Amino acid sequence: MKSNTEIVAMLNKVLTSELTSINQYFLHARIYKNWGFSQLNDKCYKKSILDMKQADKLIERILFLEGLPNLQQLGQLSIGEETPEMLNCDYHFQLTQRTTIQQAIALCESQQDYVSRDMLSDILEGEEEHIDWIETQQYQLEQLGLEKYLQAQL
Amino acid sequence: MYVCICKGITDKQIKQMVLEQGVGSIRELKQQLDIASQCGTCAKLTQQVIDNTIIDESLFKDVG
Repeated sequence: MKSNTEIVAMLNKVLTSELTSINQYFLHARIYKNWGFSQLNDKCYKKSILDMKQADKLIERILFLEGLPNLQQLGQLSIGEETPEMLNCDYHFQLTQRTTIQQAIALCESQQDYVSRDMLSDILEGEEEHIDWIETQQYQLEQLGLEKYLQAQL
Repeated sequence: MYVCICKGITDKQIKQMVLEQGVGSIRELKQQLDIASQCGTCAKLTQQVIDNTIIDESLFKDVG
């Protein structure tokens, strides 16, 4: 089914963001694992896998719309050096990604591509949940202090 | 955070070069660190780190 190039370009932009996200969370997960913070490792690993599934949906949708999914394009990874910085990097990445998805949803709505819009809404829901999780971590960090917070992540 | 993933260069290293060696541009920074030499993705962020460090530094001097 043929769609307009504007929608395919926008879906590709969201795909780039997801592909970047997969790598960023995978690297962060394994950095946490290397430090022995298994809770944070699990969370970031699962986030990375979720992003892969979301990327898969986007790839299939782009192909369905007779476009070419761009798996070559990758954004800049923001990798922190210690836990609070890593959470902060993820937080800013999530906020940027949220704006991108919102723009994509608005475009799909205006072009009456309701199926793509629904798919993007599902993706956005997952991303917002993760933003909330990061905010919870930042709150805990502030309340417990770094040492106690990290002890809870072993 | 890591600005350049290819060579593992951090924002702290760049800031240190700006403050201690008086680096003011990517061209000058390249003489000290092996930055933006592989994929080039980090060039934009590197420039931002240099600029922000210079701004912070000059504001600090004005207050003093």
